[in-house]
Amino acid sequence: MRGIIQTTLKSGSAVILVLLALVGIVFVRNFASVDNAAVIVRQSAIPAIAVLGMTMVLMTGGIDLSLGFVVGLASTATGFMAKVWGLPVGLTVAATLLLGALVGLVNGAIIQYMKVPSFITTLGTGYILYGISQLVSAGNVITRLPPSLLAVGRTDLLGFPTSVYIAVGIVALGWFLIHGSVFGRALCAFGFNSRAAFLSGLPTARVNVLTYVLCSSLAALAGLLLTIRVNAAQPNMGGGVFTFEIITAAIVGGTSLFGGVGSVIGSLFGVLIIKVIENCINLMNISYHLYLAVQGGIILTVIVMDKIRSRAA
Amino acid sequence: MGQRVGRILFSLLGVAALAAAGLLVPHFLTPANLLNVVRQSSIIGIGAVGMTMVIVILGIDLSIAGLIALCPMVSGLLMLQGVPIVISIVAGIIAGIGMGLFNGLMVAKLDVPPFITTLVVGQVSQGLALIMNNGRSIGGFPASYVHIGNGSFLGIPVSDLLLLVMMGIGIFITQFTPTGNRIYALGGNETVVRQEGINVDGLKLFVYAFSGFCASIAGILLSAQLDTVHPIQGDPYLLDTIAACVIGGVSLAGGEGRVAMAVAGALIIGSVRNVLDLLGVHPFFQNVLVGTIIILVVFGSGLSRYRRTVPV
Repeated sequence: MRGIIQTTLKSGSAVILVLLALVGIVFVRNFASVDNAAVIVRQSAIPAIAVLGMTMVLMTGGIDLSLGFVVGLASTATGFMAKVWGLPVGLTVAATLLLGALVGLVNGAIIQYMKVPSFITTLGTGYILYGISQLVSAGNVITRLPPSLLAVGRTDLLGFPTSVYIAVGIVALGWFLIHGSVFGRALCAFGFNSRAAFLSGLPTARVNVLTYVLCSSLAALAGLLLTIRVNAAQPNMGGGVFTFEIITAAIVGGTSLFGGVGSVIGSLFGVLIIKVIENCINLMNISYHLYLAVQGGIILTVIVMDKIRSRAA
Repeated sequence: MGQRVGRILFSLLGVAALAAAGLLVPHFLTPANLLNVVRQSSIIGIGAVGMTMVIVILGIDLSIAGLIALCPMVSGLLMLQGVPIVISIVAGIIAGIGMGLFNGLMVAKLDVPPFITTLVVGQVSQGLALIMNNGRSIGGFPASYVHIGNGSFLGIPVSDLLLLVMMGIGIFITQFTPTGNRIYALGGNETVVRQEGINVDGLKLFVYAFSGFCASIAGILLSAQLDTVHPIQGDPYLLDTIAACVIGGVSLAGGEGRVAMAVAGALIIGSVRNVLDLLGVHPFFQNVLVGTIIILVVFGSGLSRYRRTVPV
């Protein structure tokens, strides 16, 4: 546990989050309220699920550019199964997650056994998944989903929708998986030096493929919850924008693009940092058009600060 | 050796595919349609010229999505204010080079990973393009500007000529100047290049600035073709440009890849989309096919190379 706290502090994301929150409390009206904190938590829940998978993939030294398109595919599939086919909720959820796992299996198999670099594989499968979702949906948005499906993510418990509790559970599981299990150790070893890990007798192929399966399954779950949250199923959900937001969150949280280094808590802070920035910009009533530029500017500052800090250390 | 065989195989496959497409699709191999394919591929092709150099030095430039919107927005707004066309275009190009230089500075001086720097710079550029005109598109440009995108010179579309010129500049820099040699060397082994006393930081600055330059030309050409600048028009071109480089055999492991081949990659994507259009295949299906081609090409042509360099 102490080790985790130390790595988190070292990555600097906790410090940055506290600084940003302080800035928000001092300068942004209505930021410092229990209600607003709850809003930030609610908005962070779904990205927190997705960032977990991306963190694992980045830790292997790979990348998953198809993540956002898995979200779109899961959204389309959920809507189709629940509304058009009228499948029961349990089956819809299970099938969506299975679909995600299947995509991850394909990604992982191409990367591991066909030796195509992850960047290219997931760039390619991203195109394919987007095409498939568009073909299935025929360009339509499915709205007004069955209430029984909406209940999965929207039921209110003590002021928070169930999706927040699902996210908390998943993050806790992910924390254990990465920092407390044999799989997590193997993941780190593989990311640092895949050859050495292989020669040490680790089942590197299985670890590598399983990582992509987990990442895509989590992305599918994120897509499912996102669909429930906005009550609309469509292929354009997620996409490249979502993928890059998740990668940014992971990197702001201290995960290395070169493998071996990453922490669940760091990535979680990464998501919170992005959402706090978003929240402040919303509260300050800054025009939506300024939003992208301001958010980009702040993230760049955060990364540069972190670079300079780690260089001085 | 393996590489040369791969390249010959690649070209043969390309010719075979073209011939097959010509036989199957009635109007594909007509001169007018081929020129049109080149015109439709010109945006991606021009972007790929700069992207090739960036990927060769082990970088990536994700900012082109934003720059393809920002640069023509700068030019377009100036033009609508009555500023002479040439000056407006130059201003747009300067914006692209400036953003590219910023990318280079972050990568070279602060050691920020290119992936994240260019991603964020792209986001900022996109944001600026939105702010400049409150998120609205602009259009109705002077005829001579629209001519760049839609006119032709000696029977050849100006877009095609522009692609040729940009490809020529790219080939000249990478293959016929000392800078080109250094770019490939830098992608091969940065430490050695530094020890040789070569100005690595300057080289990186140049490559990112050049990529920004290419993105600005691509963006301005796109807006001239459409006679419109939409503030988020760059998004679809980012992944296509990277895909063009990848299909053209530019190695993400750095140090390898030819500008001409990346442009050929862009033409392949353009041809695939064109053939499927002519066959009346649903446009949604094009994405599925392009994705499959990306994976298969890298699997097929780069097999031996990637086995060696990517230790997964």
